[in-house]
Amino acid sequence: MRLLIVEDNERLARLTREGLERRGLVCDEAHSLDAADAALDCVIYDAIILDLGLPDGDGLHWLKQRRRDGMMVPALMLTARGALEDRIDGLDAGADDYVVKPAETDEIAARIRALLRRPGVRALPLLEVGPLRFDCAARRASVDGVTLDLSRRESDLLELLMREAGAVVRRDRIETSLYNFEAEISPNAVEAVVSRLRRRLDEGAARNMLHTIRGLGYMLEDRGQ
Amino acid sequence: MSGRVSVGQRLSLGLSLIGLFGVIALIAMVSLQYGFTADELLHFSTLAYTRNELIGHVGLPILVLLVPTVLAARWVILRAFRPLEAAAHAIEAAPTERGVRIDDRDMPAEAMPFVAAINRLLDRLDSVAREQEAFAADVAHELRTPLSILSLELDRLEGRDAIALKEEVTAMRRLIDQLLLMAQVNVEAAAPLPAKSIDLATLAEDLVARLAPGIIAGGRDIAVEVEDGHVAVAGHREAIMAALRNLVENAVRATPAGGTVTVVAGPGTRLRVRDEGPGLAQDDLMRLMQRHERDAFASTDGAGLGLAIAHRIMVAHRGQILAQQEARELILSFQQ
Repeated sequence: MRLLIVEDNERLARLTREGLERRGLVCDEAHSLDAADAALDCVIYDAIILDLGLPDGDGLHWLKQRRRDGMMVPALMLTARGALEDRIDGLDAGADDYVVKPAETDEIAARIRALLRRPGVRALPLLEVGPLRFDCAARRASVDGVTLDLSRRESDLLELLMREAGAVVRRDRIETSLYNFEAEISPNAVEAVVSRLRRRLDEGAARNMLHTIRGLGYMLEDRGQ
Repeated sequence: MSGRVSVGQRLSLGLSLIGLFGVIALIAMVSLQYGFTADELLHFSTLAYTRNELIGHVGLPILVLLVPTVLAARWVILRAFRPLEAAAHAIEAAPTERGVRIDDRDMPAEAMPFVAAINRLLDRLDSVAREQEAFAADVAHELRTPLSILSLELDRLEGRDAIALKEEVTAMRRLIDQLLLMAQVNVEAAAPLPAKSIDLATLAEDLVARLAPGIIAGGRDIAVEVEDGHVAVAGHREAIMAALRNLVENAVRATPAGGTVTVVAGPGTRLRVRDEGPGLAQDDLMRLMQRHERDAFASTDGAGLGLAIAHRIMVAHRGQILAQQEARELILSFQQ
């Protein structure tokens, strides 16, 4: 994993880099958009952390331009937006997610991990959440190296929850991704799959990682690596 | 009305005095012209005649003139003051303290200096408030970078002390968020955005989805219930969401570890937040929402401030916050 931190405050950039490196993410710093361009030309990054106000231009404008030129690297935007603005400009400009400043390193690292788990151009063949591993090609799940015996629906559900680890996955989304349109879904079908998966996870070292948000959906806790 | 004399009463009194003087002057002039003396007028043989003459030629004309004058004048005065009364009602009924102005279109010219002075005063109050809000917003913004640095520096430390410090920084971040929110709510109240139709059930679900990871990480559960299907209110979505978020955070604080906070949309135009704490009485809620009186509940992460902000947002939406102590609920109640 290699990240590019685009941030003009050198101290903030260094501290963010060091924090992320302690969490196993290798980072480069760019203190201006020119430097970011130069870095992107010679290294293939897995994600960009972008601050908006930079000395040689507006980060949003730069990102929009880069996206138009075909850059697909996922971008996490650091924003100092106000509390009441309901639209995040950055998401229109091509950012994949945003964190409101001041953000903690854990939060930034969690968002980056979530970005990297998304299916995309450089989709990871192996998903990792805490002690859980999921091999997307072989469709095999394991906890601390011990393979889990899962049905097809259980593995589909686990993959979905792992890709969204740390965020709530709503029930209706689980229904549409687990069952095709023709299938008659009984009211408790999703609950049944979830409770079977939870039993499997609780047997291993992934105890209490799968949470129910009653009335809304489910969430797999993002325990980091 | 202790001792306060109305303009109408003053006018009646003045006109009565004029009438009295008129009668005396008339009698004096008639007496002078015809050379009557007081003895002749008041002699018992002429007394009845004098009295009739006085009533017929002095009393009646003056009454005929004065009574309609008094009635008309009182009516005019009442009419003239009606715009002032309406302005007072409008000020009392204004949903916020910001951006209130007296409508001077129907004001009588005599009231204009006063009305204009009041409006200028309201202008000044608004601009002072705006400056203070801008200042608070600036301070909050400026604090973000040093706080980021502090938070990242702390990240390198480990151990119990570091955890305590990190918690303090987190609380400080939340406090700054609340300050910014407060400033924005006030600006918004001064110049409201056009209201949109907001589905309360969807809003509750979206907020719970956003807050659930943090609440679960804190060892509590959260749930959503929708009672009346999808009910809509008119307002500003992010503002209502911020109000509901403050109620949820308050509920999380009141709920012991392992407990559940439940957000209920409905019945009707209500959003309810149920916790597993001791419950809060309506009186206590009102006190909590008043400034300077939340010492008993004070916390470093702006607990009372959060409820005060939620209160302001609700007032701007012509709604209110209610407490149901037995049900352990705080309720955002919108107009139907």
